[in-house]
Amino acid sequence: MDFELSQDHKVLRDSVRDFVTKEIKPIAMQIDEEHMIPDALVAKMGEMGFLGSYLPEEYEGAGLDMLAYAIVVEEVSKACGSSGVLISAHTSLACGPIYTFGTQEQKKKWLPDLNTGRVIGCFLLTEPDAGSDAGAIATTYKRDGDHFVINGSKIFITNGGYKGTGVLFATSDKSLKHKGVSAFIIDLNSPGVEILKNEKKLGIRGSYTTAFALDSVRIPVENLLGQEGQGFKIAMDTLNGGRIGIASQALGIAEGAFDLALAYSKERKQFGHPICELQSIQFKLADMHAKIETSKLMTYKAACLKDAKKNYTMESAMCKMLASEAATFVTKEAIQIHGGYGFICDYEVERMYRDAKITEIYEGTNEVQRVVVSKMLLS
Amino acid sequence: MKILVCIKQVPDMESRFKLNSDGTWYDETDLAFRMNEYDEYAVEQAVQLKEQLGGEPEITVLSIGPDRVVEAMKKALAMGADRGVHIQDPKYYQKDPWQIASAIARHAASQNYDLVFTGMQSQDRGSAQVGVTVAEILGFACATTLVGFSYDNGVITAKRELEGGTKGVAKLKLPAVVTCQLGLNTPRYPTLPNIMKAKKKEIAVQPIAELLQEEELTATARMYPPARKGGGIVIEGDVKDQIEKLFGILKEKTTVLRAA
Repeated sequence: MDFELSQDHKVLRDSVRDFVTKEIKPIAMQIDEEHMIPDALVAKMGEMGFLGSYLPEEYEGAGLDMLAYAIVVEEVSKACGSSGVLISAHTSLACGPIYTFGTQEQKKKWLPDLNTGRVIGCFLLTEPDAGSDAGAIATTYKRDGDHFVINGSKIFITNGGYKGTGVLFATSDKSLKHKGVSAFIIDLNSPGVEILKNEKKLGIRGSYTTAFALDSVRIPVENLLGQEGQGFKIAMDTLNGGRIGIASQALGIAEGAFDLALAYSKERKQFGHPICELQSIQFKLADMHAKIETSKLMTYKAACLKDAKKNYTMESAMCKMLASEAATFVTKEAIQIHGGYGFICDYEVERMYRDAKITEIYEGTNEVQRVVVSKMLLS
Repeated sequence: MKILVCIKQVPDMESRFKLNSDGTWYDETDLAFRMNEYDEYAVEQAVQLKEQLGGEPEITVLSIGPDRVVEAMKKALAMGADRGVHIQDPKYYQKDPWQIASAIARHAASQNYDLVFTGMQSQDRGSAQVGVTVAEILGFACATTLVGFSYDNGVITAKRELEGGTKGVAKLKLPAVVTCQLGLNTPRYPTLPNIMKAKKKEIAVQPIAELLQEEELTATARMYPPARKGGGIVIEGDVKDQIEKLFGILKEKTTVLRAA
């Protein structure tokens, strides 16, 4: 058993790290304050290949693997959780399902623009009354000649504000529950698609979280993703992989906060000594580091299992649980180590604490992850 | 045109260094390594020249050292070099600059390179001798400490940094060796698609013994950290006293107040 990254993955990690240090870290605070990731940064991340890391080269992806993707999201999130989730939601939730379930024509049509970041992708599943209970969606579709007509609403759509390409879920008959759900590829510039609002949030403020109204939106029949009635399976399979992205984001946030807390504990003097010489601080650092390393091992393991085409459902649920709970714990302790300064917006741990919380909620709450794990244990 | 770029992998300079057991080099355990910063400018300049010439030149990147140096070579390949030559030498740190230059020159002589780029010096040993020695052995023209580079029709115009901030311009005909100073250009980030492409590029491996016949000319007798300096002087008193004391120190112990 070898826990070392391959040389190729190390080259990748160092390149991403250099990019993040120079291009993202200096503006992370601005992204939070202005509730927006500059378009120039999105474009640069696209040029770097961050938005199609594990998608094949024939669709203008970088052709790397899931582990590479996890490392990209982790390294970016060390500096900026908003930029991390942009990559994660885009790649796992839009590029991913189109690649896995799309026809050759669909892949050729939609993936090159997504993989290069010329268009930003999103995943339209959640509705006001359908969160964890995704089978309860009320957005409907109805065949009309060579189109499907969509009516309904979607909320909490990460990256929705870019109005790019979405993977949309709708039902033919709500009473059929999850069996009535189908998936579609939607161009969000289509007539009838209206942004109701981009939400104001506790954290990841640079990331769009969008509410949409869909009023008689016409989608060509060739945009059906998979078979009719297969939508729920597509959604669940997609979220399964997406959890590795969110775990990587959470891991990155935790590592970013830990690095700051460790450095601060060596600089900050009280009672004539750096506070890192106090056992109370040392124990915090030890606990933080242990949680980070545990999360990293599980996240990388889930990614490697997916790369090896083995079952990774339980590991992806566990890494998402572990890493998100590490992120909220580590960022909380990072503020504690910073004392009063940590509570001030000029210190980055304050933002990281706010950014961490959502990782316990989205792409399947941690309660849902525990359902996934325990079901597998007991089945 | 055939271009050679010589690079070295060095420890991250923010590492905490410990001496090795015989006290002649640093202990590599737990160190993170990366491409020597000066060499990044060398790689970038070579790739820019390749682009200027419409992709015609072939760029070979060469590194001497243990297997870990392949990481730095892969970065160079992802930046745009075409192929790699890894000269395997786990005991690279026991070779002096003359031996390193001799091994590079023997490889270069067999390949008919037109132009050799390298960093001005390495961040760890810092001898700044390898580039010029390679040029001397090969009989190539050489310019060091480049802060500007242009190429036209077989002639390099090299802007050099000289002592005291002065700049100089040298013109060199190929074949030539140039050594690169920090700030020569802006090294590009290897993009993910290019990291993927680099995986398919060839890295030839050759043991150092096949290229090196020369004995060392200098041997490292001992390496040691400099003695810790005292804690400095804290000037106290009211502002007028402080100024007088500071003025006195500057006048007696430094040259800053002396007339030019």
